[in-house]
Amino acid sequence: MSVLKRVQQWATFARIWHVYDAAWQNPFQSAELLKKYLMGMYKPIYHPSNDCGDHVIVINSAEIALPGDEWKKRVYFHHTGYPGGATWTLAWDLHSKDPTMVPAVYNSMDGNLKRRYTMERLHIFPDSNVPKDLMANVSNQIRQIRPMPKRLDHYPEQQVKEFPKVIDYPKDYVVR
Amino acid sequence: MSLLRFSKNILCTNSVLPNLRSISIFPKLQIKKILEISNGKELIIKGEILPSPREPYLLKNTHPTVCPVCASGLDIKHTDVLILSQFVRSDGCMLPRRVTGLCRKQQRRMSALVTMAQKAGLMPNLNPDYSHKDPKKRYEWKKFNKYFDESTIKC
Repeated sequence: MSVLKRVQQWATFARIWHVYDAAWQNPFQSAELLKKYLMGMYKPIYHPSNDCGDHVIVINSAEIALPGDEWKKRVYFHHTGYPGGATWTLAWDLHSKDPTMVPAVYNSMDGNLKRRYTMERLHIFPDSNVPKDLMANVSNQIRQIRPMPKRLDHYPEQQVKEFPKVIDYPKDYVVR
Repeated sequence: MSLLRFSKNILCTNSVLPNLRSISIFPKLQIKKILEISNGKELIIKGEILPSPREPYLLKNTHPTVCPVCASGLDIKHTDVLILSQFVRSDGCMLPRRVTGLCRKQQRRMSALVTMAQKAGLMPNLNPDYSHKDPKKRYEWKKFNKYFDESTIKC
């Protein structure tokens, strides 16, 4: 194989490592996005029997955001198989016990035999401390879906003061 | 709150006016800021209305008959904390309509957006004194991040 062909072969078939910052992202929207990278669906050489999935490292999984009151109301069901083995776990309860466990990605995939192997290629970390040998492989960052909001106390004071004001207080108003 | 503190400072620094009351009964006598306390042979205590710190940065209203938010034509989201904090008191409560000067529809919308921002923990410094200033210290499900969909506001 010529040098150019060798490089082209390597570039097409190599397994790429991506990194994704899950802070303030909806896990279900992120799952739809990450599923494509994990299964290799974005590649022109994709085929279900062609092992072309990529690795994805998810960081800050402890900071994921759910809409409205879903933290309180979403439940995950698990049955051990034994009688009386049914458990309903609330989303916040599950997240506080294990922030790396996000059932969204697993549930978004088709329930075939490949699913377990594809999930092995997903690495989730609760904060940004990732082992160095894993980060050394990473060559792409996946763009976030939702913009990250900024807290009011993280803005510099000068910027808050100089921001264009929509309304002004009335003349006889006592500022509390 | 700041008014009481200023008047208490005056009482402490001089014993010339012992009969001065720190609380004023008449709301019309409530001056915005107590300013100049010039020392020397004569003690002059003045009450002056300072210009509002917001005046130089006010947005020009191109349609004066309409409320400021409608006139600006902005699509304000619950994450636009810099805009929403203008309608909020220092303890996190929303200002009434007679103070903000918005139309009924926008007042309700801003109120709902401020509620969303507070629940999401994006304005932790505009909270009452007894609250956790850090959203991470809240109880159970409230400590986790939340976001809201603005299209669910009905007004």
